[in-house]
Amino acid sequence: MEGIFKINGEDKKFFFNSRAILLDVLRENGYTEVKDGCREGECGACVVILDGKLVNSCQVFAASAIGKDIKTVKGLGDIHSPHLIQTAFVESGAVQCGFCTPGMVLAAYHLLKQNSDPTEDEIKRALDGNLCRCTGYVKIIDAVKMAAKKMRKNG
Amino acid sequence: MKEKKEIEWYFPECFDEASCLLKKEGVIPHGGGTSIRRASLGHLFGLIELSHLPMHYFLVDDGIIEIGATNTFSDVIENIRKIDPKHILVKSLWQAASTPLRNRITIGGSIAYFPIWSDLMGSLIALDAEVTLIGKNEGIYPITQYVNDRNLRNGTLIKDIKFKQNGWSSYYHRESRTNFDYSSFNITILLKTTKTKIEDIRIVLVGCTKKYKRLIELEKYFKGKKVTKINSEEILGSIDVTFPAKKLGSPEYISHLAGIQLKRGFEEILNS
Repeated sequence: MEGIFKINGEDKKFFFNSRAILLDVLRENGYTEVKDGCREGECGACVVILDGKLVNSCQVFAASAIGKDIKTVKGLGDIHSPHLIQTAFVESGAVQCGFCTPGMVLAAYHLLKQNSDPTEDEIKRALDGNLCRCTGYVKIIDAVKMAAKKMRKNG
Repeated sequence: MKEKKEIEWYFPECFDEASCLLKKEGVIPHGGGTSIRRASLGHLFGLIELSHLPMHYFLVDDGIIEIGATNTFSDVIENIRKIDPKHILVKSLWQAASTPLRNRITIGGSIAYFPIWSDLMGSLIALDAEVTLIGKNEGIYPITQYVNDRNLRNGTLIKDIKFKQNGWSSYYHRESRTNFDYSSFNITILLKTTKTKIEDIRIVLVGCTKKYKRLIELEKYFKGKKVTKINSEEILGSIDVTFPAKKLGSPEYISHLAGIQLKRGFEEILNS
């Protein structure tokens, strides 16, 4: 089957199997920043923002996302023009192997869009679907706090 | 490798169209898709995408809360919090799965599949919720009837769920080894008291041998009793619920644990 998706602001037409999950369709079409982790909805490496909501792309059939707005971490910023959340992750030392980072950044973005000054508990709650096997989460939580501060300062 | 057969996707925009599609063999509704993803797709010929149907509403009218089936757990938490931040559904759904999954799991799908670890169903059963169905078995049914009568599900789509907006005090406990683990059981208690007496109480356990159990005998025992005369130790000896063996432990251990958590819940809700 075929479908048009709005990915990071651009309309994209893809052909895919009707059983395909969004994760695979995105990665097969070059969006490799969406990481292939557990494929069970548990690790959060594959999260994207679908119509404004953070979701596990491994738990979404691609067909059900036709016509919808999808944001991957590259839709926030890239190495040449990083988003404040991305710079906060670098400055806080919140990136080790980096596999969970796209998901963590998107989860932080999803939180800070709704709550510009979250408590530590609210940050932990917002990241409850994202696993990191390197950092122990301390630096990641620091990064989200720093990002929140930067974003508040920048209005 | 053998290519998997394609499944047909349907995108109805009205209920009549959806009802016709439900008559097709091997065609089932798709809400958030999280339950379907976990199940085998081998027997399916088609999926009916529900997001184009007008089922994403949240209404409060004349003391009745009505929630469209395509609302996600996050939608329900967000909407109910505005009218009652301590509502049982806020407490229970808040503990379900994780943020990205709560953003995807729909109310309708969760009722239809009723997984044994469900954080939704205990609350809905305690609230005496009703399910509105369209399709072959069109009508409004008590949630327990829907759960217990599998025939109601064939060729049928859940349109919404409704329940009274009563001022219950509530307690919810989710027993799991880690936050993200499937729960071994969960407990819902709803309580109404006058100044001195227990006016009404509802207690539901989910995850037991028969999937769920409303503790009617215990409810009867407590109803009308003076709050000061309640001895929560009595609860431990009066629970008649069996559990299957789970990763958490043996049936006896889980049963014992459920009794303790029920006692703690009762103490907490009476003191709240």
